[in-house]
Amino acid sequence: MSGSQPDRSPAGPVESDAVRDRLDRVTDPELDRSIVELDYVDRVTVDDGRVEVALTLPTAWCSPAFAWMMAEDAREEVAALSGVTEATVELREHMHAREVTHGVNSDSEFGEAFPDADGGVAEVRATLDDKARLSRQHAAVGACLDAGLRPEQVVVLRRGDLELTDEGAVFSLDGLHVVADREPVERYLAKARATGHVIDADDRLFLTPEGEPIPVGRFDVVRKRTRLAGVNMGGQGAVCDALNDARRAKLDRS
Amino acid sequence: MYDANGEDVFVIDGHVHLWDATEENIKHEGGEQFIQCFYDYHTGFTPEDEQWTLDEYRKYGADRMVEDLFGNAAVDMAIFQPTYLSDFYEEGFNTIDDNGALAERYPERFVNNGRFDPRDGEAGLEELERQKEEYDIQGVKVYTAEWKGDSKGWRLDSEDSFEFLQKCVDLGIDKVHPHKGPTIRPLNRDAFDVADVDDAATSFPELDFVVEHVGLPRLDDFCWIGTQEPNVYGGLAVAAPMVTNRPQKFGEIMGELLYWIGEDNLLFGSDYALWNPDWLVDAVMNAELTPDQRAEYGTELSIDVMRKIMGENAAELYDIDIEAKKREFRDDPITEAFGLGDHYAGAGAAAD
Repeated sequence: MSGSQPDRSPAGPVESDAVRDRLDRVTDPELDRSIVELDYVDRVTVDDGRVEVALTLPTAWCSPAFAWMMAEDAREEVAALSGVTEATVELREHMHAREVTHGVNSDSEFGEAFPDADGGVAEVRATLDDKARLSRQHAAVGACLDAGLRPEQVVVLRRGDLELTDEGAVFSLDGLHVVADREPVERYLAKARATGHVIDADDRLFLTPEGEPIPVGRFDVVRKRTRLAGVNMGGQGAVCDALNDARRAKLDRS
Repeated sequence: MYDANGEDVFVIDGHVHLWDATEENIKHEGGEQFIQCFYDYHTGFTPEDEQWTLDEYRKYGADRMVEDLFGNAAVDMAIFQPTYLSDFYEEGFNTIDDNGALAERYPERFVNNGRFDPRDGEAGLEELERQKEEYDIQGVKVYTAEWKGDSKGWRLDSEDSFEFLQKCVDLGIDKVHPHKGPTIRPLNRDAFDVADVDDAATSFPELDFVVEHVGLPRLDDFCWIGTQEPNVYGGLAVAAPMVTNRPQKFGEIMGELLYWIGEDNLLFGSDYALWNPDWLVDAVMNAELTPDQRAEYGTELSIDVMRKIMGENAAELYDIDIEAKKREFRDDPITEAFGLGDHYAGAGAAAD
């Protein structure tokens, strides 16, 4: 679940730009990139407090589980916007467009919409979130190394050693402060928390794929595995981008 | 043979099809969606001036296929990988018998692989025997996400599948090509999860497993398995055409594959007619890693590495004597038909 926070900005007419900004928080779970950036959002229709979002994915064969997650997250995020009284999504041009659209809008469970599925989507989401955690860790550790931290320092960092400030991601090491690029560290922390890691001040900041502290002798192999997770997501992203372009060109023509 | 600045590269295209997706052959909407999806892959990763129309793409026929593969000598040999999809297509999408009819016209140029589906039970085991008898198959393609009645897929590490893998061992079929590509149906289960390859490869060390499409989008899982199992190979179909419009990503993927899987365990494949080797081979052969990638991965796409990937590794797996083939191709029917004598003229002289 994305755990959307209610919007506390003052109530007023809902702007479609605000809806798009909010949808930017929804990611394609396989690529760990925003559905807005990926150009999946066809249309946002606002009628007073009623908002409808139309989505088209790169192929009609996109996993129904992934399609469900994106549609559900999109609806939740939009519903959390101030002034929205009703949020609906429409999945278009998909082999299960009807089931997903109807199921998500009626607050059904995935298993109700797809009776022959083997269960919910939670497990699939957890697997993909974990890959996103690794990919983001790669960028965050890269930022630490760029800032001058050494591998033996990186592996023993704890959540409490880190503070996110206007200056950047500030690490405290025995009275010494090291400032790293904030953005990758912040993105990593968000996904680590979402996967149930790095919650308490005492928790190790960076972990193995299995979620354990990194023995210093394993730093290199963990570094390479996190790189691989990122290359995989980026590679698949390139496939989806190309499919999306091809499909939209075709749909526009027809 | 591909000419890389005066150096010959013998190319074995490890993944080709002769398919029929005409409207007359489609019996389920899944069949139409399937070919439409393939066509998007085609246009998405094919230079504009090389793109086909959808009608051409539905059915191209044997003669065009032969010309596309061999006409400009981009490919020297090719390996057929059947895809049945019998619930979607009346006569199947791309069957061993359709492929076999062409392979028998040019047996020196084609390897014809079979297939099995463990859900076919006893009849499936008999069919595997027939394929061995009629076509002397050395390998099988398996498609774990294929629909069959109420079933939306199967696993390579299931008890039924192991029975078929044992049958392959008994029949002397020692190459298994599991298709592990983009996630589609069935629903929430991942039909192309690569974990089942791990168990199968461990349980059948006498078989070699070529994971087609290198598990994309599970490249990470595939590499982690491949690094631990010596009998696991990667087929580059789908990854290869990324070289045209996503060269940076192609470089990263090749870097990872060379690091985890190694240059001896990777096989080129065009996935024809998804993509056409008549331009793809040239594009892949001209690919280079960026300086950053070379530094990160400590490797490069040298002529020796590319020779292995483009042909030598497949030759090793399929017991193909490349030097003998070069001599044979000086005057075989394909060479006669396309006037390729010059390409193979030097062959033999340089042979050991």
